[in-house]
Amino acid sequence: MENQIFQGTKEYVASEELMASVNIAIALKKPLLIKGEPGTGKTMLAEAVAKAFGKRLIIWNIKSTTKAQEGLYVYDTIQRLYDGQFGEEGVDDIARYIKLGKLGEAFDSDEQVVLLIDEIDKADLEFPNDLLWELDQMEFYINETKRTVRAKHRPIVIITSNAEKELPDAFLRRCIFHYIDFPSPELMEEIVRVHFPNVEENLLKNAMDTFYNIRTIRDIRKKPSTSELIDWINALQIGGISADTIKSKLPFIGVVVKKDEDLELVRHEGV
Amino acid sequence: MFIDFFHTLRAKGLRVTLGEWLTLQEALDSGLCGSSLTQFYYVARMILVKSETDFDKFDMAFEECFKAAQHETEVGAQMLRWLDKSDMQELAHEEARDHLNKIEDIQIDKEDVEEKFRQRLKDQDSEHNGGSFWIGTMGKTSFGNMGGNVGGVRVGGKTGYQSAFSVVGARKYRDFRDDRVLDNRQFQLAFRKLRQFSSRLDIPETELDIEGTVDKTCNNGGCLQIVMKKPRKNAVKLLLLMDSGGTMIPFSSLLNDLFQAVHKSNHYKDVKTYYFHNCIYSKLYKTPECENGDWVDTEWMFRNVDSDYKVIIVGDAAMAPEELYSDSGNYRGPNGGLSGYEWLKLIKRKYKKVVWLNPKMAPGRAPWREAETAIKELFPMYKLTVDGLNQAMIKLMVNK
Repeated sequence: MENQIFQGTKEYVASEELMASVNIAIALKKPLLIKGEPGTGKTMLAEAVAKAFGKRLIIWNIKSTTKAQEGLYVYDTIQRLYDGQFGEEGVDDIARYIKLGKLGEAFDSDEQVVLLIDEIDKADLEFPNDLLWELDQMEFYINETKRTVRAKHRPIVIITSNAEKELPDAFLRRCIFHYIDFPSPELMEEIVRVHFPNVEENLLKNAMDTFYNIRTIRDIRKKPSTSELIDWINALQIGGISADTIKSKLPFIGVVVKKDEDLELVRHEGV
Repeated sequence: MFIDFFHTLRAKGLRVTLGEWLTLQEALDSGLCGSSLTQFYYVARMILVKSETDFDKFDMAFEECFKAAQHETEVGAQMLRWLDKSDMQELAHEEARDHLNKIEDIQIDKEDVEEKFRQRLKDQDSEHNGGSFWIGTMGKTSFGNMGGNVGGVRVGGKTGYQSAFSVVGARKYRDFRDDRVLDNRQFQLAFRKLRQFSSRLDIPETELDIEGTVDKTCNNGGCLQIVMKKPRKNAVKLLLLMDSGGTMIPFSSLLNDLFQAVHKSNHYKDVKTYYFHNCIYSKLYKTPECENGDWVDTEWMFRNVDSDYKVIIVGDAAMAPEELYSDSGNYRGPNGGLSGYEWLKLIKRKYKKVVWLNPKMAPGRAPWREAETAIKELFPMYKLTVDGLNQAMIKLMVNK
């Protein structure tokens, strides 16, 4: 397990630095915090890591209402009340009403897992702080049952953030940080080829040129990302668009450019 | 190791902590950096820097500390002893011969040779393996030179350095710096700060705490016991006053972004926006065009917009002195008998929390900007950047 080195997968093209950051995070036993523009494959990374190592992936999707406690365990008081009303057996056994959350599940697993805490910045500002001890010590205490859940195998923790909120310093100190740069055209080409091995050369070239041109338009509000390029190339292929018309007619450009202002800008500037 | 680097980083304003530093040492000890400066650069960055806004500072500190290594040519005596190994020489010769055979692919070959060489070094040389980073780099540098000895092949870490320094030199993270003038998304992020400090407001417990109630009821043998809790609501109310005078035209898209961001941040209890032309007088305009008639009385605002609104005034504070001090200095509308300065003082008196955001604020003291200096004395003024906006938001939330 110690000697495993992440080198990307067939479906996931990772830059050298990204691979290094995964391996270093594993070696130093620290959570890996991934930031980057939307659509640069932050979430995909965890899937790729899990796949490369043949481990189970546990995804904890964070929403604005998520509380740290939910990741550890939930005490189903309602069920207990309900059972209590009807005199069910075992109401006094609180353990029956404790359900482990995603983090708890990862700790409690019999084999090492990859734990993805997706979009941690969506949650309340105190959220990451509430997880400090748990991520550091890889254990937590269930008050109701006086049980300590300790990680049997330290999970590989990958955390993604869209930088919607600043994360607390105390939390950041404990992480390995990597910022996914927007892929260079060369890397992008490789990524596209992974998705469409048989893509036509001219189509790819023209689409890529247009795509990068759009990204360089100065006032563009939402820069298109990798996933949008992939969708676009897919649309172009399905639509049977000939490569020569891509630059002049911008077919299906709505797949790449999502905002009205940007659409106008793109048509006006004529990429 | 590299304690100077640590200090340089801190001097550049990166808050590297001892804990992170020790983690880096651990990484070095366990050989995670290999023996290349480039790898060290990335490892150090991913451990020590936690935000892409700080990458640029890190790059500059790195350059300052390791510039010397780029040109390092001296080979220490001990290093020479380590390098003086027959199999190493053989390897180099072998690679050199290989290289000569495939002279067409000179570029790829070079890299290949270097790669193998480095690999071999790592595998064979215990001093090197267990050794520290410095030795690693020095070793690599000298190999670069040694490479010259064995058949003219430049084997070695030279490229490694160059790539680390090409990253540093390109300063491609400059755009992420905190002190850059910001865009819409970053505005929104900053405005979220106003929520950060408002969740613990002193409000009555008006919400039914279902879990607490159920739990208490269970413990109470099924007899209902109600538990109340504080609602988690944002009580921040915002009053935005924006300058849309002529001197602000260069910043129009920036202000547009700011405006959008405020309105997308739908977590405020209330947001009111008014516009003014150069300075605030007895009328505030409802639209940025500042057309006569399309306005409200500033005094009406005082009466109707409570003093617990947090006020953000956005403007370049570049009024002519008479616009600020003269009773008749306003050429766009009525003055109400007071100078602009007096009106600003009224705002200061009415509202507890006021900040001024200025897109072109002079750094430090700027006595030649008369109006700006005068307004700075009235309101805390911040430059309209990520940093400035964040500071302003904090200022709005803290008690005095």
